[in-house]
Amino acid sequence: MAEYAPVDLTVENQVEFELDGRRVAAPAGTMLADACYAHGVEIPIFCYEPRIGPPIGACRMCLVEVEGMRGLQTACSTPVAPDMVVRTTTDAVKEAQDGVLEVLLANHPLDCPVCDKGGECPLQDRTFKFGPGTSRYVEPKRHQPKPLNLSHRIALDRERCISCFRCVRFSQEVAQDGELTMQERGARSEITTFSGDPYRGRFSGNIIDVCPVGALTSIPYRFVSRPWDVQNTPSVCGLCPVGCNTELTVREGRTKRVTGRPEPNPAVEEGWLCDTGRWAYDASWSQARITAAVVREATGDRTATLEDAVDGAAALLRGRTAGILVGTAATVEEAGIAADLAGGALPGAVVARMGIPGGALAPLRALPGAQLGDVDDADLVVVAGGDPSAQQPVAELRLRKARRFGATVTGCGPRPHALEALGTFIRTAPGDLAAGVASLAEAIAAATRPVVMWDEADLAGEPAAAEALAAAIAANPAARQLELGAEVNGSGLRALGLPDAGAVLDAVRAGTVDALLLVHADPLDAPGRAAWDAALEGFAGPVIAIASHADATTERADLVLPALTMWEQEGTLVSMNGRVQRLRPGARGPEGAAAGWELLVALAHRLGVVPGYRTAAAAFRAVTAGRPAFAGITPEAAGVLGVPLAAPAQVAGASAPPPASGEGVPLVATRTVYGGAAARRSAALADTAAPAELRMAPDTAAAHWVNDGDRVVLRSSSGESGRLTVRVGDGLPEGVVFAPLGAPGSPTEGVLPADMAPVLVRVARVEAG
Amino acid sequence: MDADRIRAHLDPIRHEFADPRSLVMPALKFAQTEKGHLTREDMAAVAEATGYSPSFIESVASFYDRLYTRPVGNRVVSVCVTLSCMLRGADEVWDALCEHEGVDHHHGGTSADGRITIQEAQCLGYCDKGACIQVDAEETKGPYTPEEAVKLVEELREAPTPAELWR
Repeated sequence: MAEYAPVDLTVENQVEFELDGRRVAAPAGTMLADACYAHGVEIPIFCYEPRIGPPIGACRMCLVEVEGMRGLQTACSTPVAPDMVVRTTTDAVKEAQDGVLEVLLANHPLDCPVCDKGGECPLQDRTFKFGPGTSRYVEPKRHQPKPLNLSHRIALDRERCISCFRCVRFSQEVAQDGELTMQERGARSEITTFSGDPYRGRFSGNIIDVCPVGALTSIPYRFVSRPWDVQNTPSVCGLCPVGCNTELTVREGRTKRVTGRPEPNPAVEEGWLCDTGRWAYDASWSQARITAAVVREATGDRTATLEDAVDGAAALLRGRTAGILVGTAATVEEAGIAADLAGGALPGAVVARMGIPGGALAPLRALPGAQLGDVDDADLVVVAGGDPSAQQPVAELRLRKARRFGATVTGCGPRPHALEALGTFIRTAPGDLAAGVASLAEAIAAATRPVVMWDEADLAGEPAAAEALAAAIAANPAARQLELGAEVNGSGLRALGLPDAGAVLDAVRAGTVDALLLVHADPLDAPGRAAWDAALEGFAGPVIAIASHADATTERADLVLPALTMWEQEGTLVSMNGRVQRLRPGARGPEGAAAGWELLVALAHRLGVVPGYRTAAAAFRAVTAGRPAFAGITPEAAGVLGVPLAAPAQVAGASAPPPASGEGVPLVATRTVYGGAAARRSAALADTAAPAELRMAPDTAAAHWVNDGDRVVLRSSSGESGRLTVRVGDGLPEGVVFAPLGAPGSPTEGVLPADMAPVLVRVARVEAG
Repeated sequence: MDADRIRAHLDPIRHEFADPRSLVMPALKFAQTEKGHLTREDMAAVAEATGYSPSFIESVASFYDRLYTRPVGNRVVSVCVTLSCMLRGADEVWDALCEHEGVDHHHGGTSADGRITIQEAQCLGYCDKGACIQVDAEETKGPYTPEEAVKLVEELREAPTPAELWR
């Protein structure tokens, strides 16, 4: 872990000081520990973690000698000063390091051979490097019950804890969930939650990464592997559009663990992951995983080898005009190759992307954009619509950090959410985000470095609000916009110039296509699914799905080609802020599956048109050539940390949605990442799975003649929902109902139009609670 | 104790505390007067009344000796065992009380009838009156001989329990 803060040694006006007899320099305000590390001198640390907040000097491990200062100083909390003389290897320092480690290990069980942290443990490494080698303690060590379950996913071993406070500070300062504290005092100090309750948090797993000893370990990874038996691969999380940089721990062809990167990406996640991104990897071998090709015939389903299935797919598609639908989680390569098919192997094919058309968002996307890391420097952060903590989890941590750094946080939107406590938020009526935006314009104009976060799904449905917000941002030349996207690779698909799914839907309805190829696309579980249900009902042509997991669409498909997941395949994803980042293959995936891009290339071969690429990297170059958004971007340029798109990813051929029609109560839908679709496929996250609930205020429930616990369906002009359970809650705005996207069976998606235009729904009770 | 009662207690003294975090201490002490110790519900109520997380409230409560997170006797007898009192026979006073109440001589504890808790205290600031004893949060008194100390707990056992258990 790079636990030291990065130091920029290129800035002007640095402070010169002497380090172990060398004359060196570092920017003013740099802590000695960081400055020394930048100059190649490692000062051992345990409690210091600059990402968490200011140093607290709890562990005393970083003592150094500073001439003229009485006693030894903690390098983690002493800033560099001009002509300071620092010595890090004197006898006094060595003696202090020996002493501190001897005390830290006084009660430490030294059970490294059975500890999951063994081999990648800062305490172990630093004891070897700086420690005394022996201990004078002969007294029995303190014993504690071990391990305790801090939550379903985190094991706590109090014997190993050195009370460095990193996890407590993460909980209190970074995630601000207030869950973890140090209780009791002195030798009895212990990390715990309120009354020993399970640790409830959306970011709880990060305490495993920051723990410098083996006190906090991952239960799903417990006794799974040793660090020297694994390969670690830097990759990207493809579960939400934030695009957090991850590290995959791979052993025997399987992803055994996902952690934050040892060298975090400061522009995106800064090393923090949400619990979904950290633990959802077991979905790659879940029940719903498609491990073999499925051929659906009149006599029933049969499985087929991959070879036969691709042959079969080619046979079904040959001579037909295909509609190709690319899902929002498909990589740039998969989408690009699919689009390429239309030019050669499948002439005349209509290629489109799933997700929000977003024609109304063009003026916003054209404005200067910010990366998530830029939020740190903002003096004002505006959140227009959405619910970042549910929909783009790690954005929440960046927002909380900006608040900690002194930024003012404000915003508007129809949903109550966790971040509203950070500042002044205006509750807008559903469909009237424009009113909220109007009241924020003044603050945006007055700020010196404002960043405006705006929710793609909310603003796509409200063109007037999008226009007003764009005008407000444009009025301040220093203002930057930051899209809170709704789709994993939405930006990538837009940058490739794919039109929205309406193009394929219209073609299916009009009968101008007579075959359907779905690339990680699941229109029967997406907003607008009612229209797709109807269109596919009478569709006689073959439906071929390339998918990794079973869903409503693979059930309907005539042929299913098993694809790899984001933990197993190579590819490129573009984050919501237009950051091009690479997926790297960690695990191998099931025997009978192949990467989506490989399946598409194989399909092109079978159809008699040999594409000019054979690797993912070559495919990336070929499919992005001539796309202005991808100008100058190569897989090499994207490197480990990714690069922003050269130009904003705008949309082709989309129009603004009409205002809400019909009658009833407005529905506000939220896509939750924590407890959403990914969580339901994962055994480790099973307890977080969010139920399909329709939440409303007591008065609203009374007005619709429903009670808490009733089972209801919703009807809108776009269709009918699945069953939802009514939850009456205080603190919710009246005259509006809230429902989740991505719940089991996709109930809410049934009443929503694909363009996420605001809808009015009628609530009908089907079963009393 | 419910959050509203705690709020009502805090409102008149709120202005005395520059840092709102400091209100946690008087809130906890007040919440404790009802049962003599703090239950999970009490700490949750303090959290609600002060705006801090229940876990933080519990961390404060667990840090301080006079905030009890487990049940204790109706009256708590604190025997000073720091140097001055020790030189004046605090050890004998301590032993006599533990013997009389039938509690552990090393840690102290609560008598079987639940009336009296004997606990050690570090310097109570009454070195001139050693060996000194403090009952609940009342004024510290001394000097005590072992016999006088036993008489004191006998009197406490017979006396009615105060309506509010300030500790």
